[in-house]
Amino acid sequence: MITPPEVSWIAIAPDLILALGAAVVLLVEVQWKPAARVLGLVTAFSLVLAVGATLLQKLAVEDAMLAADPERLVAFSGMILMDGFAVFSRFALLGATVLGVLTGWRYIEGLGRRGAEALALIMLATVGFSIMVASNNLVMMFLGLEVGSIALYVLAGMSRERPESDEAAIKYFLLGSFASAFFVYGVALIYAGTGKLAILDIRAFFDQFIVTSPTVIYIGIGLVIAGLGFKVSAAPFHSWAPDVYQGAPAGVVGYMAAVAKIAGFAAMARILLTALGDLDSIWLPIVAALAALSMFVGSTLALVQGDVRRMLAYSGVAHAGFIMTGVVGGETQGILFYLAVYAVQLLGAFAVVVAVSGASGARSSIDDYRGLARRSPGLAGSFTVLLLGMAGLPLTSGFIAKFGVFTDAWNSGYEWLVVVAVLASVIAFAFYLRIIVAMYMDEAEEEAPALVPTVRWVVGLAVVATIAWGIFPGSLLDLAANALAL
Amino acid sequence: MIVSAGYYMALAAALFVIGALGMLLRRNVLVMFMCIELMLNAVNLTLISAGRALNDLNGQVAVFFILVVAAAEVVVGLAIIVAIFRRRSTASIDELSELRG
Repeated sequence: MITPPEVSWIAIAPDLILALGAAVVLLVEVQWKPAARVLGLVTAFSLVLAVGATLLQKLAVEDAMLAADPERLVAFSGMILMDGFAVFSRFALLGATVLGVLTGWRYIEGLGRRGAEALALIMLATVGFSIMVASNNLVMMFLGLEVGSIALYVLAGMSRERPESDEAAIKYFLLGSFASAFFVYGVALIYAGTGKLAILDIRAFFDQFIVTSPTVIYIGIGLVIAGLGFKVSAAPFHSWAPDVYQGAPAGVVGYMAAVAKIAGFAAMARILLTALGDLDSIWLPIVAALAALSMFVGSTLALVQGDVRRMLAYSGVAHAGFIMTGVVGGETQGILFYLAVYAVQLLGAFAVVVAVSGASGARSSIDDYRGLARRSPGLAGSFTVLLLGMAGLPLTSGFIAKFGVFTDAWNSGYEWLVVVAVLASVIAFAFYLRIIVAMYMDEAEEEAPALVPTVRWVVGLAVVATIAWGIFPGSLLDLAANALAL
Repeated sequence: MIVSAGYYMALAAALFVIGALGMLLRRNVLVMFMCIELMLNAVNLTLISAGRALNDLNGQVAVFFILVVAAAEVVVGLAIIVAIFRRRSTASIDELSELRG
């Protein structure tokens, strides 16, 4: 007799909704060629439904936790997990998608008939990454990673008018696929060493057995860390990031960077902390070294950049180091809180870049920002808050986030890493201040940039979130604390 | 003569290293792209031989998924390469250097 597999639709409901939304957008475009606004409404509707489905998931998780029945959260024969960790990461991904679509709306409209493709690709990238953060199987995780990454490669190269966009796309594509190959080879070696592909099975395996010849597994762990390090642009695997951030259309770069970081770190936390928690003596030194290098390289190279988007890319490298400090600390609360806070700040910062330099332009030299405070004080003030938030000034969310990951790392015995991290934060202050000084101290040359309403909402929301989570971080901290992996 | 799984995995490791080195050393975009395919196929060989040695189907099934992903990557990668070639008539990565700093 064949027993039908148990299907728990709720576990993948947000992904199904978004995939369906992407299909509808493409089909509607082919059939009726409607105005961009209509497609935008379909996208907004799918995103709202997906957020609703994620809320239902959150309720289901709470139910299962109250009933002390975590087995209920394992879906599709152990392929997908619907634990608090996945739900929180999904919320972060969906939030980043909403802000990303709003930021890039002018650019997507400007693509004309290809705007539908951009919207569909954005939704599909979110589907991939959201599968990735929820997967319990390493091959499933690889599939999610690739669905998301391949959509992002296309997004990076979508503006055909500019040669830089092509170049960004091919660099992102070659290095991204290279990284994926590393990741999946690491998965294959871990499988060869343990005979397991499911994350919970790997944890059970290491709880049960002591591996006598673990070299293959160690190489596998190293390759997995390298592959995910590429995706989150940790040094020394960051060389693609500045080129892609600068070359890809500004309207979607913030989105691309934010979702790749959220998903990459969620996957890294799940693999290292859950599956390989017992082998932490192996991976802790590697991750700590990468974290220190990223913070140092990112902060110092950001100092010498003349382009705001390249500078944000190197600041992203430094932030990857800070989040890896949280991975060393071993607490998912710190990692998730940092990811949510940083994603909002990054999207807000890129919304400012879109407002100042235009949604498709490649040049966003620091000269464009000179005297911005005279031309449009609101925009300059918002950018200042966001940059100070990224720098981690007290009373901004960045401070709470940094404080959290530093404390975790200190408690797990990596004092030297915290010292490096604090030094790197000080260097980082310098380059954030450089932009702020340019905005306030220099004379204005050009006219005030015209603000698109959707961009204004994103900037406003990011500023409010940065300050609100800096002064009252309690609710988000509680959410992150309850977002436990199974 | 029976060849044990270890030899296949060693072959796969060699293929992977050749692919990775090619990716780092070659300058033609198409060749770099082929090197990525070589790396993915090394992964497939590892999974198949490990699955066979462990008497476990999971590893062999995983290969199908990786093949599909590789095919999807080919589609997108070739499209990007064609777009670049139309504009510049070159496939050398060294000439793609407008983004610097």
